[in-house]
Order: sequence, then structure tokens, then C-alpha cells
Amino acid sequence: MHMSFSIAPSDPTPIYRQIVEQVRRQIAGGVLRQGQGLPSVRALAQEHAINPMTVSKAYSLLETEGLLERRRGMGMVVATSTERGGSAERQDLLRPSLQAAAEQARQLGLSAKVALGLYEACLKQTHREETP
Amino acid sequence: MNDAIISANHVRHLYKSKAVLEQVNLQVPEGAVLGLVGRNGAGKSTLLRCLVGLTVPDKGFCQLGGCMSTDLSDEMRERLGYVAQTPDLFDWLTAEQHFERIGSLYAQWNQEQAWVLATQLSLPMFTKAKDLSLGDQQKLSVVLALGHDPDVLILDEPVASLDPMTRRAFMRALFENHDSERARTVVISSHLLSDLERVVTHVAFMREGQIQLMDEWDALAEHLRLVQVNTDEAPRGAIFKSRRPEQGLWLVDTRLAGAPAGGRALNLDDLFLELNA
Repeated sequence: MHMSFSIAPSDPTPIYRQIVEQVRRQIAGGVLRQGQGLPSVRALAQEHAINPMTVSKAYSLLETEGLLERRRGMGMVVATSTERGGSAERQDLLRPSLQAAAEQARQLGLSAKVALGLYEACLKQTHREETP
Repeated sequence: MNDAIISANHVRHLYKSKAVLEQVNLQVPEGAVLGLVGRNGAGKSTLLRCLVGLTVPDKGFCQLGGCMSTDLSDEMRERLGYVAQTPDLFDWLTAEQHFERIGSLYAQWNQEQAWVLATQLSLPMFTKAKDLSLGDQQKLSVVLALGHDPDVLILDEPVASLDPMTRRAFMRALFENHDSERARTVVISSHLLSDLERVVTHVAFMREGQIQLMDEWDALAEHLRLVQVNTDEAPRGAIFKSRRPEQGLWLVDTRLAGAPAGGRALNLDDLFLELNA
């Protein structure tokens, strides 16, 4: 499977953190499995026209966390010790974005019902985009 | 921090008896990609010209790779690439003829690589420079600056007239250095802040001839916050008073002791606006 990242340089979240968080989520969600290879530093940097050092920084952090391992001749792979996270762990990874969205819904004066309806619509749209 | 490979030391420079650079200190570590940003007239071009030795500052000095910028060794010249704000080309020569002419000046000139880059940037090779569009003239200047695989690259708004596709190709080329022993060090001034966000390791903000703020970009993005307070007083950790106090909005460095938590994170565009408000 081709591993894809979505990088938003103008997001105030630094690019290396965007990569770290996406890898973390995809491992927890079972999208990335044990032993699966990640794109090389150079390939990922070239694809998004970003600094290779930023990609190295992200991979090194993930290696320190034990989520990735450096394998001879293969580059970075998902560590064999990782497992798809339990439901609780995966929910914890989603919580911060929803917390931020909840805060914005409050600032915009949107009711819980409207906000939930909108989230549901977003879920459906993502699902449609991934299953053409 | 590694030893600085590019530095400005107490640089002061006057133009028509007005200070365009005032007490500028800059240390760029090897391998860094420094984005130099600031409004028009902030002194960016003059500083870059001082770094490469084209302008001799009235006070202070600049150094490249341990050499005084005003007295660069041949070895350092061979390692340096520079793109001026206004393309500096031979009007009557085509890109191909520029390759021959400039290439002969550099021992490390890589003709094949220059052609590859020219193709990636869609540079017309057989048109005289004077008949090229401004965008194509910029492309040619960039290819000429990169053709000898320099490990110090100083770029003064190199891509202002290029389309987004070509700018991506240019950003990729910045990291294509073949002498992988040495990480290339780059200083680039640009108003295209969303481009800079992709490639910089460090950012230096200039205002009115001075460096207002310089740090690693990741650190600034992670630690600077725009905080709203209900008093007229500056909160602890506030840096720069760019807005009127009654607005109660402050740029805060959350690494400083006692700084309030929360606040809004800023991208490079936001931070530029705050620092120049």
C-alpha cells in the first residue's frame, strides 16, 4: 500500500509534528502494520517539496518512541513491537482535534446537534473519498 | 550550535546618510536553511550583499566559511552560489552560452546537472537573455548559482516571478546537493512565506535595518502564541509590543517564565503581520 501523508505547511503545527502525528494515528489505526516500510526521507521530502531534515527529525522522534525501526537496506519500517491500538487508545488520539472543534463550535454559537450533524457529514464525505 | 558558516557581526551600513543596517548580528549554522523575511526596505538585500562581499559595510564585518566576505578566497568563491534580486546576466548570451561561460569559471561546474535543472524549471535554452521574460531570467540565475553544486547559497528573492509549479521544482533543487559530505547552507529572502515554511530550518525577521527575531522555525511555531489579556499591562513572557495596549493582544513566548498558557498558534504569515503591525 502506498503510504501517504497530508502536509499543510501553513498550518501552525510544525511539519515534523504533522508527520509524527499522522504516523502515530496510522499505526494506532492499523493502517500501517508491523514491518511495513515508510517512504525514504528523500522521497517524502521530494514529494512535498519540503526540507529532508524535517522528515529526518520526524522519523528520529518516532524511532525514539519505539514506533519505527531502522532496518538495513529498507530504511524505516513500523516497529515489530507495535500493535494496532485498542479502541480507547485510538479515541485518545482523536480527542484533541474534536476538543478544538468543540471550542470553535461554541465560539460560533452552533448547537451540539448542528455540530454533530456536521461531523457526521464530514465522516461520510471522507468515507466516500476513500472508497470510490 | 555548530560554528556559524555564515555570519554578520555588528554590521552597520548607511545609504544617503540613513542607516539601512543597524547593529546586525547573524549566525547561520552549517546545514541551516534560513528564511530572511521583512517588509520592502527592511534591509534584507543590503544584508545579503554584505554577506557575499558586494557591499562593504560602514561598520562591522561579515564572514563566509571563516573568510572575510570582502576578501573571499578562491576556494570559498568556488563553494558559494548567489542570486541577486535583479538577474545579473549577459543580455546577448543564451542560457546555453551562459552555461559555457559561467561553467568555465568553476572547477566543480556540472554541465549535466545544470541541464537537468534547466529542464525541471522549463528554462528556454536558446533565447538571448534580453529576450527572456523576467521569470525565465530568474530561472537562469538560479540554475547558474546552483550549477557548481555550492554548499553556501545566498538567494535574494530568487523566485518572486515564478509560478507555483516552478517554485516547487526550485525548492526541490535546493536539497539536491551532490557533495553529500557537506549539508548545504542556504540564506533565502522571500515574501512567499508559505514557500519558506516548507523549506526553512530557521527564520530571521528584519525590520528597519535590524534583526527583530531569529530562531528555529519549529521552535517559533511551537512556542509563540498570540494571547488575549483583559488588562492594559503586558503579560509575562510578552515579546514585542506591536499592537496598541488597549487591544490586549500580545505576542508571548511560552518558553519564558510565567508566560500565560493558551493563546493562538501562528503560522509564518500571522507572525510576519504581528511583528510588522
